[in-house]
Amino acid sequence: MTEEQEKGKKKRRTATEAASKIGGMVKAAIGGTVRAREEGRPLAYTFICCCYDEIIRAMDIVPVWTENYAGICGAKRDAERFLERAESLSFSRSLCTYALCGIGFDQWREELGSMPPDAPWGGQARPDFMLSSGQILCDPRNKWYQALQQYMSDVPIYNVGLPWPVYEDDIEVADVEDYYIRYIVEELRGLVRFLEEQTANKMDWDRLRELVDLGERTWNLIWETYELRRAVPTPMGTGDAMNTMVPMVFMLGTQEGYDFYVELNKELKDKIARKEGVIPDEKYRLLWGGGLPSWFALTDFNYFNSKGAVFPVETTYRMIEPIYRLNIPETNDPIERLAWRWLRYWTYWYDKAKKRPGSEPDVERLIQYIEDYQIDGIVMHEAFSCRTWHLGLIWQLNQLKRIYKPIPVLVLGPDGKKKRGRRELPSLILESDIIDISSYSEVDTRNRIDAFIETLESIKEKRNLSPVIF
Amino acid sequence: MDERNSSILSAVEKYYQHYGLRARELRDEGHKVIAYLCSLVPVEIITAAGFIPLRMRGDVHEPITKADTQLETIACPFVRSCFDIALKGKYDYCEGLIIPHACDSMARTYSVWRYSLGLPYSHFINLPHTVRGPSMEFFKAELITFRKSFGRFAKKEISDDNLAEAIHLYNENRDKAKALYELRKSDPPLISGTEIAKILTVGMSLPVTESNELFDDVLVEFRQRKEAPSRKAPRIMVVGACVDNIDFISLIEDTRANVVVDSLCIGTRDYFPHADTGGNPIDAIAHRYLDKVNCPRTYREKKGETYEEDLEARFGDIGSLSKEFAVDGIILYIYKYCDPFGFEVASRRAYLDSLKIPVLYLEDEYSAGSIGRLRTRIQAFLEMIG
Repeated sequence: MTEEQEKGKKKRRTATEAASKIGGMVKAAIGGTVRAREEGRPLAYTFICCCYDEIIRAMDIVPVWTENYAGICGAKRDAERFLERAESLSFSRSLCTYALCGIGFDQWREELGSMPPDAPWGGQARPDFMLSSGQILCDPRNKWYQALQQYMSDVPIYNVGLPWPVYEDDIEVADVEDYYIRYIVEELRGLVRFLEEQTANKMDWDRLRELVDLGERTWNLIWETYELRRAVPTPMGTGDAMNTMVPMVFMLGTQEGYDFYVELNKELKDKIARKEGVIPDEKYRLLWGGGLPSWFALTDFNYFNSKGAVFPVETTYRMIEPIYRLNIPETNDPIERLAWRWLRYWTYWYDKAKKRPGSEPDVERLIQYIEDYQIDGIVMHEAFSCRTWHLGLIWQLNQLKRIYKPIPVLVLGPDGKKKRGRRELPSLILESDIIDISSYSEVDTRNRIDAFIETLESIKEKRNLSPVIF
Repeated sequence: MDERNSSILSAVEKYYQHYGLRARELRDEGHKVIAYLCSLVPVEIITAAGFIPLRMRGDVHEPITKADTQLETIACPFVRSCFDIALKGKYDYCEGLIIPHACDSMARTYSVWRYSLGLPYSHFINLPHTVRGPSMEFFKAELITFRKSFGRFAKKEISDDNLAEAIHLYNENRDKAKALYELRKSDPPLISGTEIAKILTVGMSLPVTESNELFDDVLVEFRQRKEAPSRKAPRIMVVGACVDNIDFISLIEDTRANVVVDSLCIGTRDYFPHADTGGNPIDAIAHRYLDKVNCPRTYREKKGETYEEDLEARFGDIGSLSKEFAVDGIILYIYKYCDPFGFEVASRRAYLDSLKIPVLYLEDEYSAGSIGRLRTRIQAFLEMIG
């Protein structure tokens, strides 16, 4: 996208000052990676929510968040040329479009020996090494950088194994966590050795300890800050949270990241004191229950707002839980603390799920948010190119409907008489992609939103008179 | 063909067309059957517990309908098809289901399978993504967890001797499969690609002892063949993931080519690697499934100084097989939405190009309709090979 086109594109309206600052912060960070490259500082390609943010920071390595850059290309509606280039290299358009965009961009940069023309925000800098991760999800995190080595074979990879136990009926996390932790710790120590070799610097373990402390304090602060959104009217919606997640997942282990949430916390408290919501007349409170957003269509959140709907909470990019609830064993070893934080985060909802027949951790989390945030309906987004976050959404909604019916209704019994019952929350699944704009239709999307709002309206109206009759 | 052998091929045909029929018969006789997905489930442990492992197949001829009410259409089409026919009751004689951490389409749908099918037993085996020392130790611990969990369900302590015996039986099975491949080396081959696809698929639906007997019998049958089932024609290798139906292979062979070897899950990827014998059986199983089964979901650290050396380390098995079976052309056959294979297409093509063997890359959707539409491209490719 040219500078003129960029200027012509209207900036999305945010509810908070904090969210409006994020664009500039990300732009500065991307520009910073390009400068760091010129200055000869070590650069690592890596993925967000990776478990080892503080390790990278403690070693003064500049992270290049490759998913983020693809998201920027998508948000600026300038991903298509990179996607097409990847496709021309034999990568199917059905694969993760973050990865396709990144591969297309990098191959082009390598071919030219300089940034592709008009690269968004100055382009993505060439790394010194790449940190893949083998988790329980996200095949592209395991394959993307290996695919890139075809175009920059001199850039080494360290693939960090970061599994967590899958939820099972007959297995308790406590029965297996020993060997999971042992493995994650070994993998993280392996990462430190790799980084020491690559940078010729030794890890400063005291500094790492301090940054892990800072990271943990940041998690607690984010949780407390996001919980402020329970207020009615809510002072911040998911549209803004898709911005305010940046310090959470790109700046963990930095003072700047922590300070951002101090400010956001204060701003939200001030708004609550003034009873200032995302919109003046909040009619419907919705849960963004899953799926990454379409980065090129974040204005859809504003469209929801225009219909009186707000999103006080979301599961997407809320990649934290309060540390003090994670029961992390006492240890002075920062690597062990990172490993425990990782495992406990991913298994946080397991105990709750076990207590409700038919539940699942992901479903339990939805129920908790529905209750805590007084939710009227659920919206999800299915991005066609990402199996990681978008498989299982339909099933979660089906399961939720089966086990959780919060809306009082009158139903006709077999004897023809009305009796009291309950029904599930209404839900909507939008379909598109994270950055492939060719999959998106604004008209269709907004028609579906309109229909959903009508459903919410109908339930609300009837609820005000008497329980809904079905 | 004598009467006995004719009945063997009839049995193969019957068990292929009515997949799982034998397992169902055995269930009716009191045996217990466990379904599993993918080449990464250690069938030795299931067999050692006295259960019959049955590899789940999809059905390219069955439109996916019920699955779409539970599962997003962006999942791997093979996994969707398996799930669809499972929902329709095709595997209702199974006592349980084992799913490995193979890819997102399996890992992220495990809960969906577990609840939707309501089977008495299910388990997810968490394979790590790398093959380093700590990964191997982790995987062994995961296998021990599975061994305990499945033993509880089976009400049987699965001993090392049970495992060693199962390893022995499966290694025999793999030897016999390999012997069948030997018959494909002649020109024209003594066994067609379609025939072997049927036999290997059926083999994964039988108790390993019966699979071994079946393979013995078909070996006798094919070794006696005086005439090859086809004429001399371009010799093709198919490279891809789980091709568990004959439709695609038949399409190639109907287009006047012989499919002589493969790098497929129901093929050399699964049937060629042995588990080691003589040592700790869990170590042997871990080593086989994490290291020896060469699936792109497992990340292998770069080897050698150059990218070409790395490609050789990752895909050298394809090159060796192509030479051993005198291949004229390779068809890279990848399912849509398959991230592990999809991100390797470019590097696989680069490797195959280095072999100076013509390559055709096809992306497909695991349905008979879409397979049929590939005919023209295959014809053009074969004409190019000449």
